[in-house]
Amino acid sequence: MPYTEEELANLVEPNRLHRKIYTDPDIFELEMERIWGSAWIFIGHESQVPAPGDFFTTNINHRIPVVMSRDRTGKVHVLHNRCAHKGAKLVDTTCGNARAFRCCYHGWTYNNDGTILKIPNEGGYDNTGFDLKDPMNNMQKVANCESYRGFVFATLDPHAPDLKTWLGGAIDCFDNLCDRAPGGEVEVAGGVLRYEHDCNWKFFLENLNDTMHPMVTHQSVVQAAQEYIATLPADAVKQRSEAEIIPPFGASYEVFENSGITGFKYGHHYDGGKTSIHADYSVQPEYWEAMVKAYGEERTREILSFNTHNTLYYPSLTIKTAVQNIRIVRPIAVDKCVVETWSFRLKDAPPEMLQRTLLYSRLINSSSSMVGPDDLEAYMRMQAGLQSTGDDWVEMYRQYGRDRDLGDRVVGGGTSDLDMRTQYAAWKNYMTRAYGTAEVGSHA
Amino acid sequence: MHDLRRIEQFLYDEANLLDQPDLDSWIALYTEDGSYWMPVAVDQADPINHVSLFYDDRVMMEVRRRNFVHPRAASKDHPVRCSHIIGNVRLQGSRDNGDLVVTSNFQALVFYRNEQRAFGGRYEHHLVPSGDSYRIRHKKVTLINCDAPQKSLTIYL
Repeated sequence: MPYTEEELANLVEPNRLHRKIYTDPDIFELEMERIWGSAWIFIGHESQVPAPGDFFTTNINHRIPVVMSRDRTGKVHVLHNRCAHKGAKLVDTTCGNARAFRCCYHGWTYNNDGTILKIPNEGGYDNTGFDLKDPMNNMQKVANCESYRGFVFATLDPHAPDLKTWLGGAIDCFDNLCDRAPGGEVEVAGGVLRYEHDCNWKFFLENLNDTMHPMVTHQSVVQAAQEYIATLPADAVKQRSEAEIIPPFGASYEVFENSGITGFKYGHHYDGGKTSIHADYSVQPEYWEAMVKAYGEERTREILSFNTHNTLYYPSLTIKTAVQNIRIVRPIAVDKCVVETWSFRLKDAPPEMLQRTLLYSRLINSSSSMVGPDDLEAYMRMQAGLQSTGDDWVEMYRQYGRDRDLGDRVVGGGTSDLDMRTQYAAWKNYMTRAYGTAEVGSHA
Repeated sequence: MHDLRRIEQFLYDEANLLDQPDLDSWIALYTEDGSYWMPVAVDQADPINHVSLFYDDRVMMEVRRRNFVHPRAASKDHPVRCSHIIGNVRLQGSRDNGDLVVTSNFQALVFYRNEQRAFGGRYEHHLVPSGDSYRIRHKKVTLINCDAPQKSLTIYL
């Protein structure tokens, strides 16, 4: 092993990070094993596999293929996507419906719950010592799989805490996202954007609650929108309202500071709560009516006033409750990852709500948007700049010493580095297996 | 066939503006209600109920052309150079409003961030006859790899 646990621990100081965590391929492989191999990883949403036989394939980390499958009884499983015979990947399409999973090579066939259904010409195994009843002839289940309000997570670690414990207080954001539906549920809708990032996966996560960058990184698009708005005649209401989606990305330091950041164990955090840059988006009247009908006015106000910006479920998922889209990160190599954007329909909400979500996904998160490429430009420059030997360290001092520990969560200023400190406390615990020894059982 | 020659000439001229790139002149080719659409899914039905890589009306084109040359847009620090080739130009008929529907195949080489990338696919133009030339009511760009992971694409194709 290239790094001892002590050496790994020394890469993360309370206020500084060693550049190797972004640039060293050996660190990357250890992250895949110890973080992505221990944490609950977001796999998909149950609405992607609504009917028995429906499946959806993905990777649980940079390479391990899994399939999310709904069996005949309606139960959702996350299975290793590997034939028990010669090891071929069983399902090689992104999604679909299958009566059974049949291997393309020798025809071993599996039920949708992963149990073996048929081995062709099985008489050849008679009296060979091969046990046809051995459960290793099934598609193997991941160590654990659980869902919360339709969001399916899986872990490769049999000693991981249960999903609710792991989500901690950050679970409120899943509730808020789903409660924003008059029908109390959300479903994946309107397609996916896949954005290839030539940078380490952690830069994307660090940017989510980095509120010191928008007014710099997104200054150009905000000014471009403002310059255009200034040319509009007073009666150009439609053009003005469309262009005004963009300026909140240039909100002031003060606005972001007041939104606050809240951090949790296991690296989760969000910015916003009482308010966020999404708080001033207008509420569509038909949506308001549907919400009041479902929840009453007081509860509706309560739901819509919980305004978070980005909530990170470290390390694989970030959600925007007020916008109803999510982004999923999958590492590929130390300097490469893919970020996917999915949008959600609020059950029983007017169709304009999904259209608004899709507009947002396209304008902000598309690889051809005027926002995402400037973020990625910064990540790629860090990936390049951190090859420099001029300084081994990256700082995260902002408002250090002012974070307030409330027991189940830590809160601090919206422009603090609390989000960084939260993520890297988790990084260090996973990488040195401290979660394992301290409270969640052995990872050995 | 005379019309088709004029249409081809118009498409080449349009592509030339993107090769430059000269977004100010390119946007002026569009009608006031004009739009540019690059779907993200094969056989995508519409740009409203499904997410897209691009779907710009004149409002977003106006923001985009200003952003494209903004000195603080870091992703634009690197020059973008393009070379478009258009072929198989076919006049498919006209829409109820009289717009001509023209389809073509395209290949575009894009040089950006020290990397040369190849894009290919199909164009569908809805053209409004205007004097000796045309204006664009709608342009749909279907990439053959529209549903693959994409890198930043900061220019219209």
